[in-house]
Amino acid sequence: MKRLLQWTAVVAGLAILGGLLAPAPALAAKEIKIGAIYPLTGGAAAAGRELRAGAELAAQLCNEARSDIDMTMAKAAGIQSMGGAKITLIFKDHEGNPTLGADLAKKLILDDKVDGILGCYHSSVTKTVSAVCEQYGVPMINGSSTSPGLTERGFKWFWRTTPHDRWFTKDLFDFLVGLSEGKVRGVKAVPREDINVIASACENSEWGSYVSKVIQEMAAEYDFKLRKSLLYSDKSPDLSSEVRSLRASKASVLLFASYTSDAILMVKTLKTQKVQPRIIWGQDAGFDKPEFRSTLGDAIEGILTRSVFLPQVVQIKPVAGQVNSLYKAKTGNDLGGASARAFTGLQTWIHVLEMAGSSEPAAVQKAANAIEIPGQELVVPWAGVKFANTGSEMGQNIMGSGLIGQYQKGADGQMGVEIVYPFDVASAEMIYPFPQW
Amino acid sequence: MEALKNAFDFSDQPRLDLTIAGALALFLLIFPLLPVSAFALATMIQFFIFSLYGMGWNTIGGYGGQVDLGKAQYVGIGAYTTAVLLIRWDIPFWFSMPIGVLLAVSWSFIIGYPLFRLSGHYFAIATIATSLVLKDLFEVWDFVGAARGLEISPIAYQPPDYLRLIFKEDIYYYYVLFAFFLVGILYLNWFRKSRLGFQLRAIKDNEDVARSLGINVHWAKIKTYAIATGYVSVVGSFHACYIKAIEPEDTMSLDISILIALMAMLGGAGSLWGPIIGAGILIPLKSYLKEWLGGMAGLAGMDLILYAVIIMLISAKEPRGVWGIVERWRRRKRS
Amino acid sequence: MEILASSIVAGLLFGMVLALVALGLTIIFGVMDIINFAHGEFLMYGMYTALLASQVLGVDPLLTLPLAALVGFLLGIACYKGFITYILRGPMIAQLLGTFGLMLLLRNIALLVFGSEDRAVHHGVLVDKSFEMGMGIIVPATKLAAAGLSVVAFVAVWLLMNRTRMGKALTATALNPQGARYMGISTEKMNALAWGIGGASVTVAGALIVNFWPVNPYVGLLFTMIAFTIVALGGFGSVPGAFFAALVVGLITEIPGFWDFLTYTLELDWMYDVPMTSFKYMWIYVAYFIIMVVRPRGLFGWKH
Repeated sequence: MKRLLQWTAVVAGLAILGGLLAPAPALAAKEIKIGAIYPLTGGAAAAGRELRAGAELAAQLCNEARSDIDMTMAKAAGIQSMGGAKITLIFKDHEGNPTLGADLAKKLILDDKVDGILGCYHSSVTKTVSAVCEQYGVPMINGSSTSPGLTERGFKWFWRTTPHDRWFTKDLFDFLVGLSEGKVRGVKAVPREDINVIASACENSEWGSYVSKVIQEMAAEYDFKLRKSLLYSDKSPDLSSEVRSLRASKASVLLFASYTSDAILMVKTLKTQKVQPRIIWGQDAGFDKPEFRSTLGDAIEGILTRSVFLPQVVQIKPVAGQVNSLYKAKTGNDLGGASARAFTGLQTWIHVLEMAGSSEPAAVQKAANAIEIPGQELVVPWAGVKFANTGSEMGQNIMGSGLIGQYQKGADGQMGVEIVYPFDVASAEMIYPFPQW
Repeated sequence: MEALKNAFDFSDQPRLDLTIAGALALFLLIFPLLPVSAFALATMIQFFIFSLYGMGWNTIGGYGGQVDLGKAQYVGIGAYTTAVLLIRWDIPFWFSMPIGVLLAVSWSFIIGYPLFRLSGHYFAIATIATSLVLKDLFEVWDFVGAARGLEISPIAYQPPDYLRLIFKEDIYYYYVLFAFFLVGILYLNWFRKSRLGFQLRAIKDNEDVARSLGINVHWAKIKTYAIATGYVSVVGSFHACYIKAIEPEDTMSLDISILIALMAMLGGAGSLWGPIIGAGILIPLKSYLKEWLGGMAGLAGMDLILYAVIIMLISAKEPRGVWGIVERWRRRKRS
Repeated sequence: MEILASSIVAGLLFGMVLALVALGLTIIFGVMDIINFAHGEFLMYGMYTALLASQVLGVDPLLTLPLAALVGFLLGIACYKGFITYILRGPMIAQLLGTFGLMLLLRNIALLVFGSEDRAVHHGVLVDKSFEMGMGIIVPATKLAAAGLSVVAFVAVWLLMNRTRMGKALTATALNPQGARYMGISTEKMNALAWGIGGASVTVAGALIVNFWPVNPYVGLLFTMIAFTIVALGGFGSVPGAFFAALVVGLITEIPGFWDFLTYTLELDWMYDVPMTSFKYMWIYVAYFIIMVVRPRGLFGWKH
């Protein structure tokens, strides 16, 4: 019997050993592996689907020769400087969990031997993943995390294409000042005291709490009165006490930084509690999702959202229209802030690889620091992509810019988003003040 | 000296157990030198981490029979102490770890005193409550980064930094943790034969009898709780250096508390090897299930369903866990 | 003033719904001295039942209450017959572990079946409507209806327990199981019944709550904690105690509102900066801890 036990132990030991000794996958030639870490399940799963579709579309345009798209990367199949090498995306799901993200990054780098990383949407996850990349010297390009802190860490292997929240928040205050000076299309100059009292509610992870901090700083700088700044957990199932607190503050401008499900809940609760501010502004993310629109219907008319991409961009940028129609055929939705930036993130990867001519990290690093993608290549309305490689914002794209859009019902009865800021590209007259619920 | 001898004295264990334990220890020693994937190494590190958590839990939960579902708060205290001291004052791991233990143990005394007036379910729920309160406080406390948490910058220190425990490769962490693991087993071996260990088992069997024997029941529980806290806090400190980015949601979540208790109970609460067996079963299962099912987003939660079924079976059939099954089987052999 | 008034009203209305949540827990506890960790998970299934039934059948979620009650009743009995009966005889630690496993199982089955995303009721007669009650108090219609129906259900269960033969048999089992067995009452049957009624009342509460509270597979634990706090406060096993304790706990969830009231009344600068809404559930845990330590029998306890 004792014998049997010993044998069982030996067999069990061998089984464990066998399981752990999985062979490392062999590196295939002419294939560039990019690990894309996105929230494919969990509260931000809807955003994850968009991000994934956006990145996949960019990879597809690079790998196939598409002469109908006015983009350099679409003209020929694969990366030309590397003999037409194809881009392969390996998607991983971080569920919005920073530790899981770091684990996945390690796995992608060491086991899957990826050439670079793209991701991760949640700023908190981008933070841990970029730290892993930095340690291993693997390049990472981030397309959609906007916490300003990410590029203030002096990392040498991290580049961010999207503008960050300090810029966006500055846009907002410039917009508010413009409103009081009568610069907004369709609105007469609003007395400053009508919009002077503001209140904010932001989700409390890396991104939202940084936004909250920036709003506090900017409000002081622009001399607005910030009556209340709340932080709430995006997992919080009920926001009624937060909303009552906002109502009690009697603020006329409400600012939010919310992910998807909490943004929907917030607006619903505002409506049932009949909170009636003059302006409601969302810091992209949840306020920019197709779900936000489809769930809340007409209730959102008049809500402002900052974004980097709005469907109206199609009218000023033909190339955005071409990509948008492909995206629509693929997913049924228009390009949004998340998908357009994921697309741009991977597009930047492709340009960097094209310039580097090799997937060696050092070559990629050099190319990324020197890259300059002109604005007409991009779907987003930026002047281009060019990374800062000195100073306090290492790896930040200095040519990005933001938009502020407003949900408005079009002539066809469909809820759309019109550009209201920058003032010179405004696509419609602004609805002011925010209509009765 | 006597204590040290006791710690190394495993003579009451069956020879077979010791042979297997020795063989496994040898295997763990050479494991990183084998051509294993980074994923396997990370999984083993998780195994060590949760074995140690489980050993700590086992003192109060297993030998003492007080089901504690709030261990994550001490993970948090340990991790935050190390991270804050390192980031703000550049105090290395080996100094911040004892400070963390000190803080965690002090906190455990503060809440332990009222906590142990409760028992059973009420105690279990109260431990959850204290842990959640501490997490809520950390989430708004700006000094420790509030909900954003803290990051130990990977470029501020030149790895390998043995003093601050900053390494690039996991293999270093593996061996540091392996050493902790062995020390943890030795300490537990001493503990179970110590005066406190015997008192605790008397309390678990029957509190009234223990009291009539002159044991200060309340104080014995509090002391043991502090020991459990120490284990968890040490690993918490290690966790901060290993993960390098900590936040309340991550280090102090209820899921961690639950997992700790679960593993120890699955393996066998109140036995020397139980928590290690529990972690040895659940951690690889968890990692690899997630890995295999990860691609299939539609199967989320499958791993936890499996755990739940195991736990329910164990609680209905053999509350003493896997180790209970082994012992029962052995007893039947003997008779 | 209106801040204070609306917080009190909101707290009391929520408290009425919470009473129903705690009722199931206290019945089960009263009859067989076992505490069900999976209580909040039952509630979560009630929420999903109402949500999905209203989507599939295209009716208002409030009309799905009987279905939710049925689901809860069957779920309760299934859990008892399939599992709880096997751990009843075991040591306390096994019971704790067992219901804890049940919690994990129910939660993760929900995760597997429904996915992790938040889902909310978006269509219904009362959804997004609200009443102005004067003094600036605005009450969402769904909350008002949920509170009213919850009180009705609470009274119904109370009558069931006190005015029917079945209920009397249940109470007898609770007071003295052995004596009840001598009187020819099948305690096994009574236990199952307690689980059925307990399950039904909490799923009904879930079906009411889902009208104003989004559901995901993780909501259960918060409500388990709330229910425990209420039952601890009201005294384990006491039905009227649970009702009053629920109102108190409802008011505890409104502490941020009271804080706002104080802030705007006193106009003290530092008060603006206290992130009170971040602590809104923390007070429940604090309350539980204090109540258990200071007065373990609860405010109205009659058992233990």
